Amino acid sequence: MTALDNYVAPTSLEQAVVQLQELGEVTILAGGTDLMPQSHAGRVKFKRTLMNIRRIPELRGIVREGDEIRIGALVTISEMMAHPLVREHLPLLVSAGDHFASDQIRNAGTVGGNICNASPAGDTLVPLMVLGAHVELASKPDDTLFRRSMPLPEFFVGPGKTRLAPAELLTAVRLPIPPKGFVARFHKFGTRPALDISAISIGVAGVLKDGTFSQVRVAFGAVAPTPVCGCATEEALEGKKLDAATIAAAARAAQDEVHPISDVRASAWYRKEMIHNMTKRILEDVSANH
Amino acid sequence: MPETIQRDSLIGKRITKLDAPEKAGGKTRYIQDLDVQGQLYGKILRSARVHAKIKSIDTSAAKALPGVHAVITAADVPYQRPIGVAKDHFPLKTDRVRSLRDEIAAVAAETEAIAEAALKLIKVEYEDLPVLADPNDSLKPDAPLIHPEPHGATAKHDHLKQAQGIAYLGKPDNIAMTFDYQQGDVAAGERESDVVFEDTFHLHYVTHCCMGVSGIIAEFDPSGNLLMYSNTQVPFLHKREFAEILNMDPARIRIIQPPIGGGFGSKLDIYPFEPITVFLAKATGRPVKLVFTREEEFLASPTRQPVILTLRSGCKKDGTLTFRTVRTLHDNGAYTSWGATTPFVMMQTISSLYRVPHCLYHTKAVYTNNPYAGSFRGYGNLQATFAVEQHMDMMAEAIGMDPLEFRLKNAQDPGEVTPQGMHFKSCGFKECLTTAAEASGFLAKFKANEADKAKPGRFKRGVGMASMLHVGGGAKIYPSDGCGTILKMDDFGSVTLITGASEIGQGSETVLAQLVCEELGVPLSAVRVINNDTEITPWDVGVHASRTTFIAGNSAIGAARKARGKILDAAAKMAGLNAADLDLRAGHIVEAKNGTVVMTLAKLLRQLHFSDKAELVVTSFYYEPPSKHQDKHFKGDVSAAYAWATQVVEVEVDTDTGIVRLLKVTGAHDVGRILNRLGLEGQIEGGIVMGQGYALTEELMVENGVVRNPGFRDYKLVTAPEIPEMDVRFIETMDGEGPQGAKGVGEAPAICIAAATANAIYNATGVRIMALPFTPEKVYRALHAAKKEAA
Ligand SMILES: Cc1cc2nc3c(=O)[nH]c(=O)nc-3n(C[C@H](O)[C@H](O)[C@H](O)COP(=O)(O)OP(=O)(O)OC[C@H]3O[C@@H](n4cnc5c(N)ncnc54)[C@H](O)[C@@H]3O)c2cc1C
Repeated sequence: MTALDNYVAPTSLEQAVVQLQELGEVTILAGGTDLMPQSHAGRVKFKRTLMNIRRIPELRGIVREGDEIRIGALVTISEMMAHPLVREHLPLLVSAGDHFASDQIRNAGTVGGNICNASPAGDTLVPLMVLGAHVELASKPDDTLFRRSMPLPEFFVGPGKTRLAPAELLTAVRLPIPPKGFVARFHKFGTRPALDISAISIGVAGVLKDGTFSQVRVAFGAVAPTPVCGCATEEALEGKKLDAATIAAAARAAQDEVHPISDVRASAWYRKEMIHNMTKRILEDVSANH
Repeated sequence: MPETIQRDSLIGKRITKLDAPEKAGGKTRYIQDLDVQGQLYGKILRSARVHAKIKSIDTSAAKALPGVHAVITAADVPYQRPIGVAKDHFPLKTDRVRSLRDEIAAVAAETEAIAEAALKLIKVEYEDLPVLADPNDSLKPDAPLIHPEPHGATAKHDHLKQAQGIAYLGKPDNIAMTFDYQQGDVAAGERESDVVFEDTFHLHYVTHCCMGVSGIIAEFDPSGNLLMYSNTQVPFLHKREFAEILNMDPARIRIIQPPIGGGFGSKLDIYPFEPITVFLAKATGRPVKLVFTREEEFLASPTRQPVILTLRSGCKKDGTLTFRTVRTLHDNGAYTSWGATTPFVMMQTISSLYRVPHCLYHTKAVYTNNPYAGSFRGYGNLQATFAVEQHMDMMAEAIGMDPLEFRLKNAQDPGEVTPQGMHFKSCGFKECLTTAAEASGFLAKFKANEADKAKPGRFKRGVGMASMLHVGGGAKIYPSDGCGTILKMDDFGSVTLITGASEIGQGSETVLAQLVCEELGVPLSAVRVINNDTEITPWDVGVHASRTTFIAGNSAIGAARKARGKILDAAAKMAGLNAADLDLRAGHIVEAKNGTVVMTLAKLLRQLHFSDKAELVVTSFYYEPPSKHQDKHFKGDVSAAYAWATQVVEVEVDTDTGIVRLLKVTGAHDVGRILNRLGLEGQIEGGIVMGQGYALTEELMVENGVVRNPGFRDYKLVTAPEIPEMDVRFIETMDGEGPQGAKGVGEAPAICIAAATANAIYNATGVRIMALPFTPEKVYRALHAAKKEAA
């Protein structure tokens, strides 16, 4: 185990970003469900200071702000799943939560932690991407609190790597309230029904009107170093009628545009096959139920 | 006091295990929870290379770390002797490492963290050797030797050659062990055959995944007596073996077994961490506790035996089996533990599950640089059954017979003595077959699925059956298979049963207590079972081979009957009645014919105490009845009774993903007699889930000697939502020798599942897979790869 020099538990966002700026070498702890196993396994080394961010009220809560829903970084997967705003407007996140870990982990693990951990198999990432999420970041490089925002896909750089600056904190994700006719699906494919890491995952969203699919967003998990957008698949679907030919073309496009690796969970070949079959299945389901 | 008491019995009832409240309440103190005053913590440095010479080990920095009490390497324990089934394994490695689990050095320190930090300070220089990762490569003429003879008995290795009794001698080739068995003439059998199949089956690595990881505490007292808190399944054999390894007087070794967090065969051998902990205790003069991490448990505890098995078998058009030829290659790993001896059990299934006149069986266990296999519930039988039962279905199909009829035609009957010499005194095999088939609606489903399999559709249903034969009345592996009992009665009518048989979670305490209650007419709450201290309990061979209920049960009955006789004699004298007319019921002495109470048992016992009329401590023993022991050609009987079972598995195959779901398992088990119905159900349900893991999800992935998934994230145990519906039926054949007619059942339920699942997948899809496990990707490939590659 790593010996720590320093432990801080700021009680406001202001205090946290000041400390981040001053202390420099800081490891941020939210639910700890990624951090602790990774440190036990020796994959992550704690920096000089461990900062527990769980006492910062500004990072909590789910609220509606105009046409957006803001989910605080510290919101746990369980809280997200239970929240009325999420259930009403973003049911996709509820179904994603349903396949996330176990109850114990969902009670501790946070949305912010899932995003900052930046695993290509992180199970909120693909749904958040197809819902059009932006991340909200805060820091205090000089005397003023500096906030910035970026579309979620831009935030990811590689496995465990993000555009978060060293003294920056992820404060929330913002999601537009979906328009009328919006449909969204998330499929986590693992080899068992519970407590599994995605071998692949697929998110599809768009507006379905008179059988035509538009404003289509597609994203894939666990097929690249980060969760990725399925641009070719989107193109195969955008403005099209969801008929058998479109679905077949989209499934092929999906299979062709992903370049997964082989690892202990699945081979690249099998992952591509599953991207094809599951994309097809999701689209068939969308077309049959709307 | 009641006036009359009718006879009541606990046999066949659903009895909660005696240790259930403690376990469910979280109060059980496992080895992890035990601490001894003044103890240090031990940690082991394992190899960083798969196969290499050790050029140098520098422990100076580790020794200098504050809080470290000892750092030892092989050089510090010149007296160490090789351990294991073939004595090919030094606890601390001397000149080379042969697998990644190999122990190079060990530390004892004030805390686990300090011990851990000290390991990181040990510097080892290696010189890599070529890695043998495939048993086929180990057999090549130019293959490097994994156990070359210690070079030239130089001064440096003198102690190896000189060690008395056991010495490490090396091997001129990479063959660890061979088994050859023959009955009849397979060539003649083949000439009579109308149908012949030959296939090669691949059986993979899995490991026990005990909830409690391995651990030990070792402590010397000032007189040099060694006390070990150990999770061994075989305390008495280990006492002797430890004495040999440590060059100690066995009388100075005491083993206390704290409650065990899972055994399943994994604690049947001595592993390096155990003597190493003793070395550390010796070096420091302090008690030393060593407990594995979960990752270490995956890397350094034994596995099930991986096997490549080629089976050639035939039958006549009328369904009569003609012959079987089997060649297996066992990947022995770097050292020899019990896994190498699994052919002993495999051949029983091959020769004797069905009537087969001609059999030939060759098997080789071959050294590689992989993890080594130990014993594991089923002991080779899962592997043999996987091959044999798939061929049974294939032959049935080839001659146009249904799988049930084909099996019934060849199944064993009671009274049969097989060509191998196994004598089936009680045998409910045919009843198992018909019961499981009827209860599951096997035949109708089998035919319906077959008709549906070519139709379009993503999900396919399948049903498959497999049967098994396993020892159920002890195993004549050692010259004798015995167990002793001491039974003591106090003056309140309570009974203390001191038995040699260990409880490893199988529920033996409860069953033994029930058997005693049956004889002494006392309630279950009046019985205490003591079974975990070699200084107190009488001798026993150990927990293996599904033997405890049978052997220890008979021994306990023997003691209880002796006590019963004494009690009834004394009561008869006191009451002026005839002992033969008396009975013991619900803590009373009663008249047998009408239940009229004569006196309470407690009162009688108090009168007997401090009198010269009776001794209230009795001893007894049980050895399996004499029979024709196996000769060196493996002909002869191996158990006093045999267990039988048929399991029918229903699956749903998702052809889009290759995911196979187990929908339902119907099992019919010949258990001789139900003693504790609840315990039996628990054993069978647990065994089915273990078999399910073996069939579908579990795999220790070993690549070039490296375990790639040493954790529960990627080593996939079955989770709760995957567990199928189960319908378990018991066949009571009332074995003549069994305790109250019962036979062993511990291993049986895990054995058939993989074979039955293979047959069910075939029934669903028409695709036969001969390699385990049936992971989604493997099944998907089998369903689609050929077609896709052609397209
Ligand atoms: C048994 C088990 C099962 C799991 N199953 C799943 C699963 O099914 N799907 C899945 O996606 N994940 C799974 N996980 C992973 C993990 O639970 C999730 O990723 C979880 O959302 C992480 O949140 P956390 O709050 O615990 O993060 P932490 O472990 O506290 O932090 C994770 C990383 O993010 C950083 N961080 C956290 N919050 C912030 C912030 N606000 N600003 C800046 N940096 C921050 C931390 O420094 C750390 O590097 C599982 C984990 C376990 C142990």
